[in-house]
Amino acid sequence: MKANWNRREFIRKSGAATMAALVAGAPLAGMLSGCANKKKMVNSTADTVILLWMAGGMAHTETFDPKRFTPYEKGMEGNRVLSTFKPVPTALDGINFSEGLESIGSVMNKGTLIRSYVAADMGHILHSRHQYHWHTCYEPPQTAAAPHIGSWIANLLGPKNPVIPAFVDIGQRFTVGEAEELKAFHTAGFLGGEFGPFMIPDPSQGLESVRPPVGMGAKRFERRNQLYNDLIGKGPAGEFGSDYQKESLRRSMEQSYRLLNSPEAKAFDLSLEPKETYDKYNTGRFGLGCLLAKRLTEQGARFISVTTEYEPFMGFDTHENGHTRMAGMKQMIDGPVAQLIKDLDKTGRLDRTLVILASEFSRDMMVEGKPDAKVQEQVAQPDILKDIKFYGMHRHFTDGGSVLMFGGGIKKGFVYGKTADERPCKTIENPVKIDQLHQTIYHALGIPEDTQYEVEKRPFYTTPDGKGKIIKELLVTPPLKVV
Amino acid sequence: MNLLKRGGPIPTKIAHMLAVLFFISLPAVVMPVFAQNSEILPENSFWLWSFLGRLHPMVVHFPVGLLFVALLFEWIARKRKTDSFKSTIRILTFTGALFSIVAVILGLVLSNTETYGSRLLPIHQWLGIATAVLACCTAWLYTKNQRLSYAFLITTVLGVTLAGHFGSGLTHGDDYLSSVLPGADTTENADANGFVLASYKGALSPQQVQDFNIQVRTIFAHNCYSCHGPVKVKGELRLDGRDYLMKGGKHGPIIMAGNPGKSELMRRITLPRNHKEAMPSKGKSLTAKEIATLELWIKQGAPWPEGPEKSLFRIATLEPRLPEIPAATEKLSNPIDLFVNSYFQKNKISWKAPVDDRIYMRRVYLDVIGLLPPPDSVDHFVLDPAPNKRSLLVQQLLTRNHDYVQHWITFWNDALRNDYSGTGYITGGRKNISKWLYTALLTNKPYNAFVKELISTDKNSAGFIRGISWRGTINSSQSTEMQAAQNVSQVFLGLNLKCASCHNSFVSDWKLDDAYAFANLFSDSTLEINRCDKPTGIMAGRRILFKELGAIDSNAKKEKRLKQLADYLVQPKDGRLYRTFVNRIWAQLMGRGIVEPVDVMDNLPWSQDLIDWMAWDFAASGFDIKKLIFSILTSATYQLPSVAVKEQGLIQASDFKFSGMMRRRLSSEQFTDAVSKMIQPVYEDSMMAVIFLPDDIKTTIPFARASLMKNDAFQTILGRPNRENVSTSRNTQASLLQALELTNGSLFNQTIKKAAFKWKERYPDPDLMVKEIYRNTLGRLPDNREATVARVALGKTPSSDAVEDFLWAMTLHPSFQLIY
Repeated sequence: MKANWNRREFIRKSGAATMAALVAGAPLAGMLSGCANKKKMVNSTADTVILLWMAGGMAHTETFDPKRFTPYEKGMEGNRVLSTFKPVPTALDGINFSEGLESIGSVMNKGTLIRSYVAADMGHILHSRHQYHWHTCYEPPQTAAAPHIGSWIANLLGPKNPVIPAFVDIGQRFTVGEAEELKAFHTAGFLGGEFGPFMIPDPSQGLESVRPPVGMGAKRFERRNQLYNDLIGKGPAGEFGSDYQKESLRRSMEQSYRLLNSPEAKAFDLSLEPKETYDKYNTGRFGLGCLLAKRLTEQGARFISVTTEYEPFMGFDTHENGHTRMAGMKQMIDGPVAQLIKDLDKTGRLDRTLVILASEFSRDMMVEGKPDAKVQEQVAQPDILKDIKFYGMHRHFTDGGSVLMFGGGIKKGFVYGKTADERPCKTIENPVKIDQLHQTIYHALGIPEDTQYEVEKRPFYTTPDGKGKIIKELLVTPPLKVV
Repeated sequence: MNLLKRGGPIPTKIAHMLAVLFFISLPAVVMPVFAQNSEILPENSFWLWSFLGRLHPMVVHFPVGLLFVALLFEWIARKRKTDSFKSTIRILTFTGALFSIVAVILGLVLSNTETYGSRLLPIHQWLGIATAVLACCTAWLYTKNQRLSYAFLITTVLGVTLAGHFGSGLTHGDDYLSSVLPGADTTENADANGFVLASYKGALSPQQVQDFNIQVRTIFAHNCYSCHGPVKVKGELRLDGRDYLMKGGKHGPIIMAGNPGKSELMRRITLPRNHKEAMPSKGKSLTAKEIATLELWIKQGAPWPEGPEKSLFRIATLEPRLPEIPAATEKLSNPIDLFVNSYFQKNKISWKAPVDDRIYMRRVYLDVIGLLPPPDSVDHFVLDPAPNKRSLLVQQLLTRNHDYVQHWITFWNDALRNDYSGTGYITGGRKNISKWLYTALLTNKPYNAFVKELISTDKNSAGFIRGISWRGTINSSQSTEMQAAQNVSQVFLGLNLKCASCHNSFVSDWKLDDAYAFANLFSDSTLEINRCDKPTGIMAGRRILFKELGAIDSNAKKEKRLKQLADYLVQPKDGRLYRTFVNRIWAQLMGRGIVEPVDVMDNLPWSQDLIDWMAWDFAASGFDIKKLIFSILTSATYQLPSVAVKEQGLIQASDFKFSGMMRRRLSSEQFTDAVSKMIQPVYEDSMMAVIFLPDDIKTTIPFARASLMKNDAFQTILGRPNRENVSTSRNTQASLLQALELTNGSLFNQTIKKAAFKWKERYPDPDLMVKEIYRNTLGRLPDNREATVARVALGKTPSSDAVEDFLWAMTLHPSFQLIY
């Protein structure tokens, strides 16, 4: 089995009994056969990943890569507008953010700013397709169900603390438009349901997912579990004997009981956080999601995704009123993101926690797609702005974008890549593609570049064909050259 | 001789040099000993160790030579009865011993810096060390003029000889020496496939060219393709085809037809193992027989057969076959049982007693209609004295048409990736076929017509080959036409076209060209072949994967082509179609196919006769799906006790032996329906995906059945696939996420809470309640100990909480969740 090294490592770290339970649900036969991947483990620089997802397409020129600011005037020419906010300085010399992101700017000395993310060309744009691509590294549709990056990590590394689910997804509801498309990548795919996301749509309700059912006290919960064990134990001696299904059932029940009864479950309870901290994070569900991510990290989470939540035409998906709405989105993210970095840094956890802030693509006022590969337009944007609702970045732009990375072996106070200062504000230096980002994340976690599973006799790699290249420039300790 | 006479200082100097050498090499020898399995060893070792290691083959010849000469002198001295060679022999044994130590050190360095997988390594290593020790003893004995010295010298020389032999085996292959012996010429022995090299020495018949070619390609495939094949092309060299072989690599041609001696290929594969140009550069060397085969093949002019290449992979027969049914026995008459009986005899497996009525009834209820049997019917059935009551029961269940559909539609939805929600619907890129499917199952549409209508479609059945399209551009291997090709071949023919839709497959003979020609049948316009998503400029042809089935009129309109395709595919002579199908049904009912995985029908069945007969009989008796299910469920084979395995992987193991139904777990739908029927409905009628279902659906359901619901978090967690891809088997192992959902998920716990009120009201007497709960969930009464546990938990007047907890525990009981 391929995943041997980490499982072994894992066994060493956790109790033997817990291990027996966890390894039990290893990948399935039939669809999967783990196969030889003898590459030695790379030294890891991170144990935990937090993905802060700016859902809906976050305009780089309005956030982390501001261009010339042109204030709104009625009747102005749209093409003149590159940024609708003033630039503000950050902790890094000569690097400005867009107004409203001062807090994140103040922690940029602790992380890396990538200004050259380039999204794929997939024709007529559908957010969920690009999000699928970002999260799985594969363009949909695929012949095999592609796993979410969180599922890969959960499968390869297992939970860091056995009672905190390895892959926690905070903030996304499936009751919104494009829900089916969202579900299509919020999955462990061929890795099997066990490695799927533990969904917490509302972080303030997170605790409910990990405690006894509503209305059931601890005593009764314990009694119920005891009854369950007694009924099985006292059944006709060895009724039908034992087999892997019966064993896996009993083990998973035992494990679930322990998780729902464990002290670590308190990590999900935001009300235990001091009011002062709680308030710093509380800009709504996203902010509280960041707080939950912090608490889970403290208890040993493996992969956490916190999203501003994708809902068509909401959040960062600004088809109109881009400027006004962007101001609101900044308020939502600026404080909590910066606070998360500070808090992780204060306790030293940032050293082994890799935080990534990203979006499926960027936005522009004029260009849909890429300047030299434009695609079908979706927003009617007048050339002359007669109403402030047209003032903002309303079209989907895939040729530039910003990504932030903090901690987990990533350089501090570093800027990578560049976009043009005039429209089209596209990437002109060190373009970064999704498979490079994934490979860099896997590398930080010590997952070898050519990690793969065989699915229906075909290798399925963490990045397509195993070809994603690590962005060495971002790493404090670049990988040793292996000949 | 001056040097020898001076004796003393020179050996001292050598000893010093040796000591220095030893300490230099120490880390390389010792370090790996601590790093067991050398996993933490750096990829590349320090050059000096490699260099020193590679001196080993040179240095070993010193002790060999010196000790042999010493023995020669001793022999001569003894023959001539002279003492004059004494000092010579002493010096020879002494230097021989010294060099043997050096050789041992260098050998250890070598074995730790380079990879030797051979089992010969430890033998060679310990023989070498023993010989060095012996050599030292011999040298010491000679300085002391001991009597035993001659015997020791002989033993040492023997040791050197043996160690040398195994060393050569390591470098040149196990059978390096023995292979050239006249008696032991392995090249003359037929191998498992009856291949005898010598018979290819003269002029070759076309058949011989073919067979010889397969041998040669197999050698390349096993040893070389991983670096010189379609995936990696190291040194610009590919070995997976005649043209590639003849073209050679970046250093020019590798084969000179007729002249193995001048062929670079032969030079590379015969180089010593540790030579840097030796091939294969990784893994083990070719065996002497493989080398001899390639040599002879080149000598014969590297012949390549005309026409299409024969396969290196197992390909199942396409044609149907009617095996002779073994004679009926006293107890067995169902042909399935007779074939299984002869399989059992061959594998020395004995028939076990059939399962009892309760277990049998639970099984067939779940397998035909997906529901648990009502407790009263179970009691009635157990008491029924009729000898044919089991077959009557199955017959009667099969007539419950709607119940049957509401169970089997799940199997078909998975296979045909038909769902009530999912990607694609948002932009009209997907069509639902539920209405058609429901009716087809309800009327027990013959399977040939069923397949035909899914390929040559009307508007209701079009969804399957229409595939799923998302907005925007997609990878060419995922065009809807290619999806149709992949899914039709996977579901109906049990073969994998996914590799070949991007490039020629490495795991089968399917070529890119085949996949495109098949996909092109589903296309209005002619498809351009794309290799790994890059256009090739070549337009695809139009043909069915198995040409034997018939030629497609490539100029005809799509509708006509698809009609032709459908007609060809369902012909009785397409045995593969029917084997694939009966195998799927068998797997569904028995927990494991006769062939596994069920999508790889080229794999070997555990009984060829059984699957062939079943497929033949299925086609001969009207493609009747219910009849097929009936004949399996009423067989003695199905009635055998279930088989438990310790690990899921064992079910798919290649040495699997069938001895009865594999123990199964309730599917997500079976579990939900069991709870709904026996305890409390989980879903409400209003939650069904009615728009996709027949208009009168609400009048045909006993309750809101899980198979008719849109997928939700509860079903997903319990294992219902999202049906973006064809899904022909489900994972049945329990997981933590499932346990969490069942332990505190709101849908399930709310259901049980509602149930508690109902049950409490209905059964004020706790003992009766426990009995009824047992009868409804496990189909039996509680035994005394269980009743005691229940009595304690519920008390005299049970609270709703207590009832709720008891019901909850029973639904999670393994005996409830599994099919025994």
